[in-house]
Amino acid sequence: MRSHLTLRLFLRESRGARGRLIYFVLCLALGVGAVTAVSALVEAVDRSLRAESRELIASDIKISSRAPLPDALDTAISLLGSEAQASTFELATMLAVPSAADGSAGSSRLVELKAASSGYPFFGELITDPPGLTPATLGPDGILLASDLLGSLGLTPGDRVNVGGQDFLLRGALLSEPDRIEFGLTLGPRALVSEMGLARTDLLSFGSRVQYARLLRLRPEMTPRELSRYERRLKAELEGTERIRVQTHREAQPNIRRSLDNVERYLGLVALLSLLLGGVGVAQVVRVWIEERTAAVAIQRSLGMRPREILQLYLSHVVGLATLASLVGCAAGLAAPPLVATFYPGPLELDSTYHISTGVVLRGLGLGLAVAAIFAIGPLSAIYKVSPARVLRSEAAPLAMPRWVRLTTLAVLLGGVFGCTFFQAEDAKVAGIFTAGLLVLAGILWLSARLAMWSATKIPRDSLSVYLRYGLSSLARPGAGTTATIVALGLGVHVISAMLLVETRLGRELRSGLPEDAPSVFLLDVQPTQWEAIDTLLANHQAESIDSTPVAMARLTHIDGRPVREIAAERERARGRARWVLTREQRLTWRDSLPESNVILDGSWFEVGGAPEISLEERYAEDLGASVGTRLGFDLQGMPMEFVVSSIREVDWASFSINFFLIVEPGVLEQAPHSRLASARLDVEGEQPLQDELVAAFPNVTLLRLRPMMEKIAELLERIAVGVRALGWVAVAAGLAILSGAVASSGLRRQREVALQKTLGMTRSGVMIFLVVEYGMIGLVAGACGAGASYLLAWGFLEYLMELKAELPWAWLPMFVLGSAALSAICGLGSSLRTLNTRPAASLRG
Amino acid sequence: MSNHSNSHQIECRAVGHSLRSGDHDLEILRDVDLVIEAGEFVAIVGPSGSGKSTLLGLLAGLERPTRGSIRFEGHPLESSSEDELALWRREEVGFVFQSFQLLGNLTARENVLLPLELTGESQAQERATQLLAAVGLSERGHHYPSQLSGGEQQRVALARAFGHRPAVLFADEPTGNLDSETGSQALELLLQMREEHGTTLVLITHDSKVADRAQRRLHLIGGRLRKPSEAQESSQ
Repeated sequence: MRSHLTLRLFLRESRGARGRLIYFVLCLALGVGAVTAVSALVEAVDRSLRAESRELIASDIKISSRAPLPDALDTAISLLGSEAQASTFELATMLAVPSAADGSAGSSRLVELKAASSGYPFFGELITDPPGLTPATLGPDGILLASDLLGSLGLTPGDRVNVGGQDFLLRGALLSEPDRIEFGLTLGPRALVSEMGLARTDLLSFGSRVQYARLLRLRPEMTPRELSRYERRLKAELEGTERIRVQTHREAQPNIRRSLDNVERYLGLVALLSLLLGGVGVAQVVRVWIEERTAAVAIQRSLGMRPREILQLYLSHVVGLATLASLVGCAAGLAAPPLVATFYPGPLELDSTYHISTGVVLRGLGLGLAVAAIFAIGPLSAIYKVSPARVLRSEAAPLAMPRWVRLTTLAVLLGGVFGCTFFQAEDAKVAGIFTAGLLVLAGILWLSARLAMWSATKIPRDSLSVYLRYGLSSLARPGAGTTATIVALGLGVHVISAMLLVETRLGRELRSGLPEDAPSVFLLDVQPTQWEAIDTLLANHQAESIDSTPVAMARLTHIDGRPVREIAAERERARGRARWVLTREQRLTWRDSLPESNVILDGSWFEVGGAPEISLEERYAEDLGASVGTRLGFDLQGMPMEFVVSSIREVDWASFSINFFLIVEPGVLEQAPHSRLASARLDVEGEQPLQDELVAAFPNVTLLRLRPMMEKIAELLERIAVGVRALGWVAVAAGLAILSGAVASSGLRRQREVALQKTLGMTRSGVMIFLVVEYGMIGLVAGACGAGASYLLAWGFLEYLMELKAELPWAWLPMFVLGSAALSAICGLGSSLRTLNTRPAASLRG
Repeated sequence: MSNHSNSHQIECRAVGHSLRSGDHDLEILRDVDLVIEAGEFVAIVGPSGSGKSTLLGLLAGLERPTRGSIRFEGHPLESSSEDELALWRREEVGFVFQSFQLLGNLTARENVLLPLELTGESQAQERATQLLAAVGLSERGHHYPSQLSGGEQQRVALARAFGHRPAVLFADEPTGNLDSETGSQALELLLQMREEHGTTLVLITHDSKVADRAQRRLHLIGGRLRKPSEAQESSQ
């Protein structure tokens, strides 16, 4: 059919589509709004990162490493030129308040210490109280501390604190620094000293995990292309120097970007669920629409229009409506960043203006159109069943649906859902799991809905009240779209309840403390010579389960003779297996017996003689691509070593004991430079006194307390859960929109029924009770199925994936079910207000 | 579909049609043999339930016979695909129905335009204007079917049916929903337009006055055609 004719027919077909329009738009716009909101939020964060990109690394280029920066860097910088340079050092360490007058140890905290040379920061500013303090003005003994730390330790400017064995004079509070965003987990509050101040301490001694960085300020007029060229040349000059990372301000805060990608992927999938539910609503609206248009389709077919031409006509109509709905959804979704910025401000400054982003709109529009088309094609294919003979006899038998049409619609639906998920998640595996999971869940809900409807016809009703009888009959009413409504509403209830169950249980686990016998503190950077004294100190503090193990830091250089750099580059190109296992700083330990929480899966524990052996943790080995017999080459502080993998271990990480990916046989590394890692279990009350005394005596040792860290993780989990729950509510709203659409689309039949009920003497309130019972029962079944499935999912997730005792709150189940029933009843009644006003005589004439 | 100049325009051989009703087949038509020549006006009469509409639907390619063969200008309809039948109806067939069967969301003019647009008529707008004038509805083209009387709706249906100059027009009780005066006017218009276009007309009716106007009358009783001699009457 010619396109201009299609357009003309489309415009004609659009007349009188107001009712259809509202529900179609509502169903789809909700989902598109959710998807767009997630994309818009992520983009807003990204935009804010880009806008302040120089401030986010406080420079034009940042060169960083876990090892001291090489001399080659100075040579390269002098060759390439720079306007100014500054150095920074970051590490976690302990801060102590000096001993009290009575001689007892002062209080202490784990802090993230930063030391900076003068000039820092080149971009952005340090906000301090009193204002104007910088590394240059701090001098060799000044320190700034985060304001919450000042509060918790009861410190005021002029007090003295001890860091790394040296006293510092507290000059004031550090309110904010440009290149630190507490987006994820931090080990502790910030402390800032000058480079000279750090030099007074022994914190840069061997074993400390220091992040060394050099910040460069370049010519202000440098273009992005010139900046890239500078970066490339700098990297070329540093070629052969390992562990150096060069980062321009254009790629600032890659960790945040990675986190953003993950957040976008997972929240995006939850949002997509709402959109797919919207698709179910679209299917419902289109089904009713085509049913209403059956006579018209028969006329069109009798006049010589081919089924595919009629399908094209109605599909173009669907596309038109979907475009409108998607634009409405996009407009709503784009409001998310300013709303979040206003009502739920986070660590990042979000732009609070309404920003229209082409990319976000195109994504929303594309997904909206795709979902509408995917879900509409099935109901639209009913056109093939309409016999043109209906123009002569309305009871003419429908035609058989051609097999290819049936197969095509099924393929479009399955392929389309997978395609949309893949587009959203950008990962075929995730898309496959999500699609399969959704299908299984929808299948369970569909079966449950059918079972409930079937049971409704079988329950003896004579003894029931008239309202319950009516409700049960209505549940099983053919052609009312009850199944689709139950599936959609049930999925919404499922998302919310599953998230609540999992989040609550995990939160409780994280907050409830540690498993019995698990250590509660870890001690890092213990020098071998210090261990004996620290062991005694731990014992004096009634610490239990004291454990200590040596740790040597190394870099992986070869796997079976192949340079790791080559393998890492290959993985980066292929975006295949994890790269981090190759490039990370490797921590090696040695011991003569298998740790308690370990089980050997392959190979055997170390044998005496032969090449030095190494044992790998199962998943680490998998990521590395190593198995028993693989040769691994390491660089141990400049000393090359080779080990043969002799066993693969399964580790019970949930034991919280000290465990390592890599364990080498004893007798090989003892003479290599190393520190010790220790763990112990203390009562909650005992931790702080131990920490205070430890810091006073051994300032280089860092003490990590697990309990507050778990508290922080719980808070982070809560933050993500808020987003998921909000999107879950959108899914419920989509389910209710479908219910409203189903109610409204059966309006004429309802009007006749209500007219008849009124004619038979039923009052308006009586009719209302009928409707409440009917829609309440739909919500009841949806709630029971959705929440029931969520208990199943949460139980499986917690018991098998998280290896926790699920301990689900069963008392919540009736709450979910009754909540769903109440929402459904309210929504159904709200959509029936017009029907309720039907006059008996008027409709009986119809 | 190809045009076989030697053959009859419509030819039915041993046509039977049955429908599934519960667990048994309901025989609607049995052994119908029938020939209709180009330009002929044939009336199909018979009591309710005798299979008239079914026969019309089979002749018009709206349904396929369960047995036998129906040929249009030599080409078998029963072996044509749904798409081929649709294209054939688009080019060669016109319809007029008892309940008018206008598309309610289109104006009178748009209803008339639809078949013209489907066949790609180059002067579709002008032709629609002519046709509406021919049925006396020049001023009512922008009205929707619900805004027209029954007689007016049937006149729109006639304009639509003749718009693309079909070879055959199938009419199912075209006056059945109209009062006698309006019905007579509609019938006169139908016959006049048939005359002008030289169209073959196959018409179902209960009304003997209408049947009297046909060149040939086919009696359908219990799904069987009565002898041609009994049915052949001239209306001229």
